[in-house]
Amino acid sequence: MKPTSSSTVSRNSRLKLGAIIVTLAVLIILPLCIDSDYIKHLLIMTCIGAILGMTFSMLYSSGLITLGAAAFYAVGAYTSTMLVTSLGLSFWAALPVTIVISAVLSLGFGAIFVRNAGVAFVIITLIFVQVIVIAAGQIEFLGGWGGIMNIPRPGSLGPVEFVSKRECYYLILMILLLIIIIYNALYSSRIGRAWRAIKLSPNLAGTLGINAYRYRLLAFVIGSTTAALAGSFYAHYFQNITPGAFAGWLSIYVQLYAVLGGLEFYILGPAIGSLIMTFVPEYLRVVKEIEPIITGLLLLVIILFFPGGILGTIKNPPDFSLQRFKSELSKIKIWKMQGGKR
Amino acid sequence: MSPGLFIQLIVNALTIGSIYILMVLGLDIILRGTKILNFAHGQLYMLGAYVLLLFFQTLNLNFALALILSGATLAVVGALSYLGVFAVLSRRFTVSTTFSYRLLLSAMASVGLMMILQQGTLLCFGTQERGILSPFPQIIDVFGVRISLTRVVIIFLSILICIGLFLLMYKTRFGKIMRAVSYDPEAVTLQGINTFWIFVSCFALGSALAGLAGGIIAPLFSVTPAMGQNIIFMSFLVLLVGGIGSYRGTIAGGLLVGLLLSFGFQFMGGIAELFVFILVIVILVFKPGGLLGEANE
Repeated sequence: MKPTSSSTVSRNSRLKLGAIIVTLAVLIILPLCIDSDYIKHLLIMTCIGAILGMTFSMLYSSGLITLGAAAFYAVGAYTSTMLVTSLGLSFWAALPVTIVISAVLSLGFGAIFVRNAGVAFVIITLIFVQVIVIAAGQIEFLGGWGGIMNIPRPGSLGPVEFVSKRECYYLILMILLLIIIIYNALYSSRIGRAWRAIKLSPNLAGTLGINAYRYRLLAFVIGSTTAALAGSFYAHYFQNITPGAFAGWLSIYVQLYAVLGGLEFYILGPAIGSLIMTFVPEYLRVVKEIEPIITGLLLLVIILFFPGGILGTIKNPPDFSLQRFKSELSKIKIWKMQGGKR
Repeated sequence: MSPGLFIQLIVNALTIGSIYILMVLGLDIILRGTKILNFAHGQLYMLGAYVLLLFFQTLNLNFALALILSGATLAVVGALSYLGVFAVLSRRFTVSTTFSYRLLLSAMASVGLMMILQQGTLLCFGTQERGILSPFPQIIDVFGVRISLTRVVIIFLSILICIGLFLLMYKTRFGKIMRAVSYDPEAVTLQGINTFWIFVSCFALGSALAGLAGGIIAPLFSVTPAMGQNIIFMSFLVLLVGGIGSYRGTIAGGLLVGLLLSFGFQFMGGIAELFVFILVIVILVFKPGGLLGEANE
């Protein structure tokens, strides 16, 4: 690495600070300029998607791939809804209870799941989503397949009301910022470094005295609890929940956010990916029949040719010169002669 | 419970179980050979059923010939998708690439493939259900129990395919190379074997198995574009129960899940699926690697 003089460092950090302030200002002013409820809804869903994507990234930073982001999202949504509709608590009173319940649940299930690393963990989390969905659908107490309707909006917290779409947007924005601050602190702490070490090599990390199982379990619990928080907000914002809303491929979309934005960017990547994946398919609705084909092709192109995702490509722009193309071709020939060594 | 019902439930369990076994053997061969968790496997299964529909119903071919053709077509589809997508992707992976990155990117690529295949089929064939007239409509009478011949043929064909696969994997040089590649591709390369085409054939073989499974089941259930999405979760479940990388485990897992589902739906109704899922989690508490597999990659 080149030694950087102190002036460039301070200029870089000043640039960063400026970018953060501008983005924040845009995010705060945006809903004031937009009248359409539809766009506001998409913005709120972008924030929720970004939170879910960040939970995926957190587990990925410790080398685990989860397809189960939707599971605790659903747990949070159902727990909060049941607390509010059955026990008559307010959203704000139910929130800490929801967080505690989902943290305990994720600790219990995580203790079983995290023991299986690699492929088995991917499949278990995928199946766990199905378990939650079927359980919610089959148990009458939880509303069955029809779901629960007329969940109240978050309501007032002291002097501030959270009822309209615009107020809900500010609420989720605050939650998002809080999560970003906490996650950022975690990634730059000892815990975050331990996660990255485990991802690089669990065995090597073990020789350095890092208990891979415990650190991964910690990542699982933090990620799941965050997802539950997002779920509880979603239930009260959307005002009705059905098991189908959490089924199947929602979790796959969550990973898409992280891959699309850039896997190496644990916080900004999912945010950018979520923004694109929420708005682009909505505008492709015009060509509804071929929308999944376009999304699938887009995904393949990104994975095959821009492995760093959008942010990674901006940071290290690929070289499209003829020279590079020729050298790539010769590399392929050599690689085929070697027998496709990976 | 009457003995007649018992035998019928057993036959149903064997039918579902044998389809799961074929699906999961395909998934397992792909996963071990090429290190790809193939989410498009359900779509390959669905394509197999549609190809059979095309050959058997539209072109009026013999059932056995149509089945072989649907397996062969899917092998070609699998080989092409490996060459077009995963070969390009795996070129970027080096020795220092972390396992999780490799797994994630190839799984995501297969998700992209899945979306394209799914919607492509939907556009080509429409959303309506299509039935195939069973070539074996007879009902056989065993000790006063009436069993549909189609189900017996399905079980018989699955056993035949499993035996064929076993002979291929354990009695031929090609099978030996495939098994060796699933342990250590580098070492196989050092023996002077071109592993690239082995990866391609692993993927093609796995896809062919999915196609055969779809083709076999087509006379029993209706053919719909949604059939792929429904079976993939259960296949992953069987893969997990049996243990990744164990053929015996896969067969045991497939039969176990088939039995549980068949009896569960009879006596518990819709909640049976939930019960099976919970049982799997319990199994994983005591045996983290599945019934006959080994824990951890």
